[in-house]
Amino acid sequence: MTTPTLFVDKLEKVYEAGSADLAVRAVDGISFTAQKGESLGVIGPSGCGKSTLLNILGCLDRPTAGTYRLDGRDVQDLDDDDLAAIRNKHIGFVFQSFNLLPRMTALENVELPLLYGSVKSSRKLAAEALARVGLADRSKHQPTELSGGQKQRVAIARALVTRPSMLLCDEPTGALDSKTGRDVLDLLLSINAEGTTLVVVTHDLSVARSLRRVIQMRDGRIVADGPAAEVVSAFIASEARAS
Amino acid sequence: MILTEVAKSAWRSLASNRVRTLLTMLGMIIGTGAVVAVLGIGEGARASVETRIRSMGANLLTIRPQSASGSGGVRSGAVKTLTRGDAAALSKLEGVKAVAPENSGSAQLRYREKNKNASVVGVTGAIVDAKSLTLASGIAISDMDDEQRSRIAVLGATVARELYGNASPLGTRLQVNGVAFRVVGVFAEKGSGFQSPDDNVYVPLSTHQKVLFGQDHLSTISIQAESEAASANVKAAAERLLRLRHKLRDDQENDFDVRSQTEMLETMNQVTGTFTALLGSVAAVSLIVGGIGIMNIMLVSVRERTREIGVRMAVGARRVDILLQFLFEAVVVSLAGGALGVGLGYGAAALLASFGQWTTVVPMYALVLALGVSAAVGIVFGVGPARRAAKLDPVVALRFE
Ligand SMILES: Nc1ncnc2c1ncn2[C@@H]1O[C@H](COP(=O)(O)OP(=O)(O)OP(=O)(O)O)[C@@H](O)[C@H]1O
Ligand SMILES: [Mg+2]
Repeated sequence: MTTPTLFVDKLEKVYEAGSADLAVRAVDGISFTAQKGESLGVIGPSGCGKSTLLNILGCLDRPTAGTYRLDGRDVQDLDDDDLAAIRNKHIGFVFQSFNLLPRMTALENVELPLLYGSVKSSRKLAAEALARVGLADRSKHQPTELSGGQKQRVAIARALVTRPSMLLCDEPTGALDSKTGRDVLDLLLSINAEGTTLVVVTHDLSVARSLRRVIQMRDGRIVADGPAAEVVSAFIASEARAS
Repeated sequence: MILTEVAKSAWRSLASNRVRTLLTMLGMIIGTGAVVAVLGIGEGARASVETRIRSMGANLLTIRPQSASGSGGVRSGAVKTLTRGDAAALSKLEGVKAVAPENSGSAQLRYREKNKNASVVGVTGAIVDAKSLTLASGIAISDMDDEQRSRIAVLGATVARELYGNASPLGTRLQVNGVAFRVVGVFAEKGSGFQSPDDNVYVPLSTHQKVLFGQDHLSTISIQAESEAASANVKAAAERLLRLRHKLRDDQENDFDVRSQTEMLETMNQVTGTFTALLGSVAAVSLIVGGIGIMNIMLVSVRERTREIGVRMAVGARRVDILLQFLFEAVVVSLAGGALGVGLGYGAAALLASFGQWTTVVPMYALVLALGVSAAVGIVFGVGPARRAAKLDPVVALRFE
């Protein structure tokens, strides 16, 4: 068997808030694996720990317990600089609020990860990534001069410019109307089809349904894990029963 | 490669807040400007004193009275120890070419309706050589004038200009403390600065002592040695002779002070050096104030850009990259302020030079110092905010509203 891209075992993230009984168990013993090229959705009610999990998977945050292996490599013991290098080379982030840097052109935003990775001919690679998301003609524009959908495309170009093995998206369509959201989702799926592992945290069940596999969370735990159509249908049914 | 990004991001941030950047730099501009101007003035003063002292020749010794604080305690009127008798005895020493006794005092000058307060110096014929004075017109004071107690005067260039304008003073009657003197000559201009001979009026020494001030003592005896080589011997011999004449016991200190030109130079340099250091350190305090201003603005900037820091970390910036970015920004502000301040300091020094009687020379080391200190201020006051930025937790920074 090949090494999974993601290997997570009994992962925990506990926020100590004063005394022990006030501690928040944002991620409370999560285990799963994902193979290369997987497309994985994470759904669940607000505050159930989706973003916290995603931040740990993205090496932005450290788990308080458990094992996390990325491409077979143990991540929890690495120091800050190694984590920065992993975020730079192996992971691409897409946020709900785009998080483009102001006063920088689209091209400069996309180029930034390459600069931190000291990659040669960064300009050219950044321009290629912008062309890949269909925004070659907007490269000189600043974020304030772009529409929401265009901003998210620039953010996706920035995430994929270093050819990471994994794209992590936290509500990538949350700030977009349904048509634009659909276009952004199609873009993400086409990148996934080229072999990049895709993890999408979302509230939008139609987005979740377009992925291959979905994990449903509640209170920091996994309550369902399976093919997207099954998990989403079961989720809708349980919601209907509850109301 | 990352360095160009660091530079660009600093530029973006500073350029997007022009007024704030300028106000932040102002502290540095004023600080370095003041330091450069003060050093320029100090160096100018030093240089002008040095040229004057050098122009008098290296074989000149200057003797001044000095209060002795030996076993006898402080003498009353302790600065009256030098007399004409001392001068006469000194002139007989071996290796002495000429001895020029002087006494100076302040007096009121009056020519027609013009009044002026000036230093009036009683001299003998030897003064012209001793002080390397040259006549612009007329004749100098001779030993004969001294013997005859003549009421004649030779004017310094500034005095002549102020009292007479463009007219020739020769042959006119000048009132000195109410006594009429005939002006017989005018000395050529020596140049501005401390105690310039241009500001003096010269009269025969005996007239000065007996007619004007009623004093027997001297304020200075200048000795011209035959050569520079002889001056060390002459100095020692003069000291021995004066101790003998003043009947000083072995345990008593000299009640006079003999200095060669080199020693004079050193003393003056010490004085101007202390002066410059004092003013310079006052000016340097404003650099610290400037540094605090930079620190303050950098802290604000780090806070405003917390989210940006989080994004940069998410795409792979290491902590040191963030540190460098903010440190660089602080140094750019302080160094740019420093550079503008150097310009300002130069301008101020030049302005003072053109207005006042000062010559100002901004020395090279002042420039290097000003820019070096500016950079150091940027680093010292920028490192705190930069570390704060670099230590941010990426998740916290990204969630920052
Ligand atoms: N720094 C923190 N300190 C304490 N508790 C925290 C901290 N960050 C997050 N939490 C808590 O952890 C839990 C999970 O938060 P998380 O942001 O992962 O939720 P989420 O599933 O992404 O919610 P949403 O769908 O609303 O984005 C929440 O209860 C939250 O209050
Ligand atoms: Mg969330």
